[in-house]
Amino acid sequence: MIRVDESKCLGCLSCSNVCPSQNITRLETSEKRSIHWKKCKEECDLCVEFCPAKALALVPFDEASEEPTVTFDLVSCKICGGGYATEPMLRRIESTLPLNLQKDSTGLAWIWVCPACRRNIEAERATKQMVLERSRRRP
Amino acid sequence: MPVYVDISRCIGCRSCEVACQRVHGGKGHVNVHMVGDHASVPIFCHHCEEATCAMACFTGALYKDGERTAFDVEKCTGCGLCRLACPFGVVWTDKLAHKCDLCVGRETPTCILTCPANALSTDFDQASRRARARAALAAAHGGRR
Repeated sequence: MIRVDESKCLGCLSCSNVCPSQNITRLETSEKRSIHWKKCKEECDLCVEFCPAKALALVPFDEASEEPTVTFDLVSCKICGGGYATEPMLRRIESTLPLNLQKDSTGLAWIWVCPACRRNIEAERATKQMVLERSRRRP
Repeated sequence: MPVYVDISRCIGCRSCEVACQRVHGGKGHVNVHMVGDHASVPIFCHHCEEATCAMACFTGALYKDGERTAFDVEKCTGCGLCRLACPFGVVWTDKLAHKCDLCVGRETPTCILTCPANALSTDFDQASRRARARAALAAAHGGRR
């Protein structure tokens, strides 16, 4: 059986992806993500091994214990407002990036923007640069 | 050796998108963005020297292989940390992560071979060399550049 340390869980769904018997289920809407660990009698510890936050532990089966569920509010993108990630995941990325990369002019503001909007920003930046170069080329 | 784009040449035909999907089993890693009426910009993986996606990956599925940011699907758990750690939004996760692998095993990435406008290249200097050539030609003819 799996015990979950809810304070450590990132909500990344790694465990659910690697579980060979589909005992870890997920429910995702545009605003929330829930992860539910069914009681299992397996002696398998794949989910424990592949948890990036080390939030899971294999414990002896206990009939009386409740099945844990963790629910996260999805962080909404600063630009489009769509939910795209759980906050602990973004916090973890913020803390794993080295300091020299954080000294960028915009810092790490991009973390709070969803991947689709990040692509848009990059496209707009490249366009501005091209237009600028074009106007420089003309006498 | 990432794919460099000369966006002044891009005609927005999305051939690179299709080519990428064709060689990667329907999951492409290029997005052509239309920016107003000004330009079309294909967005590619930069294969960053300090690859933040690889830093965020805790299983070592994403790693630097020379200039390439490579991906080992066997090690991926689909956690999605890489997707969120990419500043350009060019790592995707649906169950498992996928990103540009520069068409590993092929001599040249398929998008480059496909591009009808010759906007793509693995040569960083190509765009500026073309600009210099244009300028030289214009100077020789005494016309506008």
